[in-house]
Amino acid sequence: MIVADRKSLNEILDMVKSYSKILVVGCKGCVTVCNVGGLKEVQVLAASLKIGRKKDGQPIEVDEKILERQCDPEYVEQLKDIVDNYDAVISMACGVGPQFLSEAYPNQKFFPAVNTTFYGGAVSHGIWEERCAGCGTCIIHYFDGLCPIARCSKSLLNGPCGGSDKGKCEISKEVDCIWDKIVRKKIAQGRLADLLHITPAKDWRTARDGGPRKAKREELIQNG
Amino acid sequence: MANASENKTIGSVMVVGAGVAGIQASLDMANAGYYVHLLDSSPSIGGLMAQLDKTFPTNDCAMCVISPFLVEVGRHLNINIISNSELETLEGEAGAFRATLRNNPRYIDAEKCTACGQCRDVCPVTAVNEFDCKLDLRKATYIKYPQAVPLAYKIDRSICIGCGMCEKVCLAQAIFYDDKPRQTTVEVGAVVLAMGNDVFNPSAFDTYNYANHPNVVTSLEFERILSASGPYKGHLMRPYDRQIPEKIAWMQCVGSRDINRADNSYCSSVCCMYSIKQTLIAKEHAETPLDTAVFYMDMRTYGKEFDKYYMRAQDGGVRFIRARVHTIEPAADGDLKIRYVRESGELKEETFNMVVLAVGLTPSKDAEALAKRIGIDLNTHRYAKTNDLSPVSTSRKGVYVCGTFQGPKDIPQSVMEASAAAAQATQNLSQARWTLTRTKELPPEKDFSGQEPRIGVFVCNCGINIGGVADVPAVREYARSLPNVIHVEDNLFTCSQDTQENIKKVIVEKGINRVVVASCSPRTHEPLFQETIRETGLNKYLFEMANIRDQNTWVHMHNPERATAKAKDLVRMAVAKAAYVEPLQQVILEVKPAVLVVGGGVAGMEAALGVARQGYQAYLVERSNQLGGVAHHLRVTWQGEAVAPYLKQLIADVQSHERVQVFLETEVKHITGTIGNFITTIASENGNGKTSILEHGAAILATGGKEYKPTEYLYGKHPNVLTHFDLDQAITEESDTLKNAKMAVFIQCVGSRTPEHPYCSRVCCTHSLKSALTLKKMNPEMKIFILYRDIRSYGFREDLYKEAREKGVQFVRYDPENPPNLISDEQNNLSLTVKDHILQRPLEIKPDIVILAAAILANENKKFFEIFKVPTNSDGFLVEAHAKLRPVDFGSEGLFLAGLAHYPKSLDESIAQARAAVSRTMNIVSKKGILVGGVVATVNSDRCAACLTCVRTCPYHIPRIGEEGYAVIEPAECHGCGICVSECPGKAISLQHFTDEQINAKTDALFSAA
Amino acid sequence: MSDSFEPQIIAFCCKYCAYAAADLAGSMRLSYPSNVKITQIPCTGRVDIVHLLRAFENGADGVYVAGCMEGDCHFVSGNLKARKRVEYVKKTLAELGIEPERVEMYNLSSAMGPRFAEIANEMTARIKKLGPSPLNTKKAA
Repeated sequence: MIVADRKSLNEILDMVKSYSKILVVGCKGCVTVCNVGGLKEVQVLAASLKIGRKKDGQPIEVDEKILERQCDPEYVEQLKDIVDNYDAVISMACGVGPQFLSEAYPNQKFFPAVNTTFYGGAVSHGIWEERCAGCGTCIIHYFDGLCPIARCSKSLLNGPCGGSDKGKCEISKEVDCIWDKIVRKKIAQGRLADLLHITPAKDWRTARDGGPRKAKREELIQNG
Repeated sequence: MANASENKTIGSVMVVGAGVAGIQASLDMANAGYYVHLLDSSPSIGGLMAQLDKTFPTNDCAMCVISPFLVEVGRHLNINIISNSELETLEGEAGAFRATLRNNPRYIDAEKCTACGQCRDVCPVTAVNEFDCKLDLRKATYIKYPQAVPLAYKIDRSICIGCGMCEKVCLAQAIFYDDKPRQTTVEVGAVVLAMGNDVFNPSAFDTYNYANHPNVVTSLEFERILSASGPYKGHLMRPYDRQIPEKIAWMQCVGSRDINRADNSYCSSVCCMYSIKQTLIAKEHAETPLDTAVFYMDMRTYGKEFDKYYMRAQDGGVRFIRARVHTIEPAADGDLKIRYVRESGELKEETFNMVVLAVGLTPSKDAEALAKRIGIDLNTHRYAKTNDLSPVSTSRKGVYVCGTFQGPKDIPQSVMEASAAAAQATQNLSQARWTLTRTKELPPEKDFSGQEPRIGVFVCNCGINIGGVADVPAVREYARSLPNVIHVEDNLFTCSQDTQENIKKVIVEKGINRVVVASCSPRTHEPLFQETIRETGLNKYLFEMANIRDQNTWVHMHNPERATAKAKDLVRMAVAKAAYVEPLQQVILEVKPAVLVVGGGVAGMEAALGVARQGYQAYLVERSNQLGGVAHHLRVTWQGEAVAPYLKQLIADVQSHERVQVFLETEVKHITGTIGNFITTIASENGNGKTSILEHGAAILATGGKEYKPTEYLYGKHPNVLTHFDLDQAITEESDTLKNAKMAVFIQCVGSRTPEHPYCSRVCCTHSLKSALTLKKMNPEMKIFILYRDIRSYGFREDLYKEAREKGVQFVRYDPENPPNLISDEQNNLSLTVKDHILQRPLEIKPDIVILAAAILANENKKFFEIFKVPTNSDGFLVEAHAKLRPVDFGSEGLFLAGLAHYPKSLDESIAQARAAVSRTMNIVSKKGILVGGVVATVNSDRCAACLTCVRTCPYHIPRIGEEGYAVIEPAECHGCGICVSECPGKAISLQHFTDEQINAKTDALFSAA
Repeated sequence: MSDSFEPQIIAFCCKYCAYAAADLAGSMRLSYPSNVKITQIPCTGRVDIVHLLRAFENGADGVYVAGCMEGDCHFVSGNLKARKRVEYVKKTLAELGIEPERVEMYNLSSAMGPRFAEIANEMTARIKKLGPSPLNTKKAA
C-alpha cells in the first residue's frame, strides 16, 4: 500500500488561512489502512482546524467527506454537487488524490494534507516500512525476496558496501543493511554462490529516470 | 411453594452466609435453574472481602471486583436475600428440607428505605464503626458501607435512645421502631453452608501489647487504614498520633501455628500473602521511603503467581526476617521495640513506628453453634469436616460446605469450592430444575421506527437528598424547555413502587418513547428503571439517567445554586443523548446441551461425570490410551484416603454412564463457534485417523500436569534416589529397599522455586510430610530428614508437620545458594552434605534412600491451547479470567478449566475445581437459549477497509476479517469495551448505546447552555 | 486572571472504576467543584480522540479521562489506549498553541472516592490558573 504521513497542523492551517469554508476529503483506500486519511483522520483534522481557527478569532467552517478512492474519476465525481460550496478543499489522500480532484474541478483549489512517503506495509500495528520503490523492473527474486532497490540506501545491486556495520546501514543505526540480510539469507539457504554472479547495471528507464510513466492495457481500453 | 413430602424434590436451595463464597454459590445455582434463599446474619451481604483494600497477587481493588457481584445478587430474580437472619433448625432430608429462620429486626423497612441517609444525618448517637475495625465512628442508624446490598439502613437498637428523630425525617416512612424478631420457614432441596470464619483477636497475647497500644494493629485494621474509603481515607497513618509511619513491622502467625496462646495449631493459609501485599501497598501509599520488615517462620507463598509476588517484594526492598518475635514493647513517642533472635543465635533489637499483627483465621462461634444445631460434624479444629475425595460434602446428606467454614483459605479457593458446592447441591435436584424459578412475563416491544423522539423526564427529590439542596421544580421546568421533551414531572422518590406504576401509566398515556430519570446513580438504579419501562413495551435501552444526587447534591450540598445549575446541565446532557438512543435487540441463541471435557485425568473425569449427573451429555476426550492421568501414581490423599479404589470406581462410573462418551487416543483438531454453540472436530490418533464432529455449549479444559523428572541429585543414576511418584509406588509394593532403609532423606523444591520454574509446586511439602509419617509407621526406627527451604503445609496440613516433628522427623533448612550435595561412592553408598542453619556448619549424613520432592509441571499443549485460543502464563499454566473471582473461567466465554493445567494442586483441590467447572457450565447448558447483543460493537461493512486495526487492537481477539472481506465481530463474544470502535480509522465500527453521535450529543449539550 | 472565572470541565469516566469512585465521593459527602460534569462510558478505551477534540471545539476549558488503575482495566487495556489518545490530543493542542495541560488522563479505583474529589479539585484549580480556553475569549471576565 501507499504509506503517508499527515502534515503538521500549522502547515495545513497556513495553506487555508485565507479561507473560511472548506471541505476535508478522505480516501477509503491506502490512507485509511495506514491510519492517516480515513474518515477518522478527516474528523480529527476537521476538529483540529476548527479549534485552531477559533482560537485565533477566525472561525472556519469545515465539512467532512470520504470517497471510496480519490484515484478514480467516478468516485471523484461524487463531489460535483458540493465542491463549489467551499472556498477550498483539503485532500487527505496520497499525492494522487489532490491531482485527480483538481483535474476534475479546475476551478476549485485543492490542498494536500498528507505527505506521501513510500510503498510499504505494516510490520506491526502502527509501524510501517518501505518495501518497494516502483522501479518498473522487479528483480526481487534474485535477492530472495529482499529488494535492494528500495531497501538499500544506495540501491546497490552488488552489495554490501563498506558502510555496512553489524547489520546496520551507515546512514543510521535505525536502518537495517538489506545487503547484510541478503547475504545471511543466502547462507541460510545454502546459495551463497549466487552472489558470485555480478548483477549487471540496471536499466533505470522503467523507473522515474525514463520520465513520467503511463500504463496501457489494450484489452481493457474501452472504445467509443 | 410446593409442599415437602417424602418423594418430592424441591427446586430451591438455601445458602447460609453471603460472603464471597455464598454469593458465588448463589449465583451459580440461580443461573442454573434453582431458586436460592441467601441467608446472612449481617444486615448486608459481602462478608470479609468487602472490608479488604486490595487483593493479592494482582493488587486489584477488592471492592471494585466484588461490587458488581453484589449488585447482581441484589437484583437477581431468583435470589432471595434474607439479611439479618439466622438458621435455627433444619428438618427433613436431602431433596426436601424445611429450614426455620429467625429474622432479626432491622427497625427500618429495607423495601421502603432508599438509602438517602437522612436518618443517619440526624441520629444523635455515635458508636464505633465495626466495618472500619473500630478505627472510625458510625451512628446508631447506619449502613455497613456505601456499596452495601441490600442498600438499606439499619438501627442499632442496642445503643439507640429512641429519640424519634430518624422517624421524623424519613420521608419514605421506612422507620419501624416496633420491629420484632420473626420466625419464618423455607423449604429447600439442599443447603450450602458458607458462614466463613472469624479473624483472630490477638488481645490474649499480652506480650504483643495489642490491647494496650494503639500502634499495634491487626492486619484487618491495617486493611481499613490502607483503604481509600477507610477511616483515614487511604492516607497511611498510625492510630496513636496520626503520624505517617516510616518503619512498619509485620508479625506473622499471630493466632496461627500456635497452641500456647491461640489454640489454633493450623496455618491460616492467607497471612503470608496478605502481609506481602500490605507491604507493597503501604510502600505505594507512602510519600517518603517506607521501611517494611516481615517477621516470619516459613514464607508460605504456595499459590499461583505467589512466589513471583514474594520475589517482587524482596526486590522492592521489603525485609523478610526469619524469626518468631515473642515480645513487642512500647518505646518512646508511640514507637514499638522488638527483640528477636536470628537463626544464627544473634540477639537483635529494632524499633518500629507501627506493628501489624498478621492475625490468622479462627472458627466462628456462631457457625460452630449452627453446625451443632443442624447436625454437621466438625473436625478437631472446629471447622466443617470433609473428606478429600468428597471435598465439599458435610457429614449430613444434602448439606454442603464451601469457603472458610471448611478451613482457612484464600478467595479463589473459596470461590472454586462455592461453585463445586453449587454443583454438588444441585446434582440430585436436577428433576426440579426450573420448577421454582421465576421469570418475568413481558409485553412485546413496541415499534417506534420512524417516530420522532418523545422524551419523558422524571426528576427525583430523593426525599430531601436532592430536593433539599437543588431547586427540583426549577430543574423540572428547565427540562420542559429542552428539545423533544413532551412530559416532565418530579417525584418524592422516583424509585418507589407507586412512582414506578405512575411512570408506566404516563409512558402509555403520552406515547413517551424515550425516558430520562434524573436521580441517583445508574450504577445502582438503572436496571430498576429499565425494567419498569420494559414493562410498558419500551426497549430497555430507550433510557438515560442524570446522576443529580451522588454526583451533584451530595457533593455540592453547601452550594444549592450551583447544584441546581449543575443538575440542569446534567439533565440537558441526558436529554440530548436520549434523543439518539435506539432500541437494541438482544437475540436468543439456542444452546447445545452438551459439554466437551478435554483431559481424562481425575479433574476431567470428575467434570465429565458431574455434567452427566446433572443430566447433560458429556464428551470426554483423552489423548492417551487410558483414563486416570497422574492419579495412577498417587497412593493416598493428604488426609490418608486411598486413591486407587476411588480412581477405579471413578473410571468405572465414567465408562458406564450413559451420558458420558469417552474418546481415548483422540485429539482436538479444530473448534469454531461461540458460547452455547461450539462445534469441535476431534480425530482419533490410534492409526485409523477417524474424525468426529461434536456440538456442545461449553468446554472444560483439564489437560493436567506431570511430575518433573529431576536431573539433580543422581536421579536416574542411583536406584535409591526416588521421586514422590516412585516412593508412592515403592510403598504400595512394600519394596525391600524401603523396608531395609535405616535412613531416608527428603529434598524439597527439586525443580520448584528455581530460575527455570520460579513457582512453588504447592503439594510437595505435604506429600513429603505424609510420606515421612508413612515411613515412620513402617519402621519407627528409621531416621528421616527433610531438607527444605520453607515448609508450606498450609491450612490443616500443618497437622502433618506437627506430627512429623513429634515423631522425630528432622527438619533441616537449606538456602538455594547452598543446596545439599549428594554423592555416591564406589560401593554405591549415598552420602549427603548440607549446611545446617542452626548449627551453622555442614552436616554429613549417609542416607539409604533419598526422595526428591520433584516439581509439578503443566503438560505441554501449545498447539492445543492455540486451537482454543486460551492463554498460558510464563510457567505454562492456563490463565483464568480473573485470579480472584473467576478461578475456573477463561476470559473467552463458555470455556472453563480445572486441575493441574491451572496450577499444581492436591487431589481434593482438583476434584473441587472440576466440580466447580461443572457448575459453571450448568450456567450455560441448562438454559434453553442465551441472550446476546446489547452493548456490543457492530460493523458497518460499507465503511470497513479491512485494515485489521480492530483485529489487532481488541484485547480479546474477537474481531476477524470475514469471508466477505470486512470485519466481523460476533455479538456473543464481544465484551463491549469499545476499544476497536475508537481505533477504527474508517469509523466503520460503533459501540451500541455509546455511539459517537450519542457521546458527542452529551458534550455538545453541555457546552450549548442557553 | 479574574476570580470569577468558572471553567467548564468535562470528564469521561469509565463505568467500573472512575464513575463508581465519583458515586463513592458522593456517598462520603466529599465536596469538589461543580465545574466538572461527567459523561459515563463503558471503558476509557471507548474515548476517541474526536470526542476530546469535540469538547474543546465546543468551548471546554478542560477535559479529562478517568479510568481504572493501570493493570486493572476491566477490559484489559482500554485505559492504556486512552492514555495514548490523551497524549495525542495534548500534542495537537500544543501544536495549535493551546496549553496541553487542559487535557489529562487519570487512573483510580472504584474505592477511591477521595481521590476522585482530589482529581476534580486538582483539574479545576489547574484550569482556573490557566484561565479560560483561548477559544472562549468572550467568556473571560
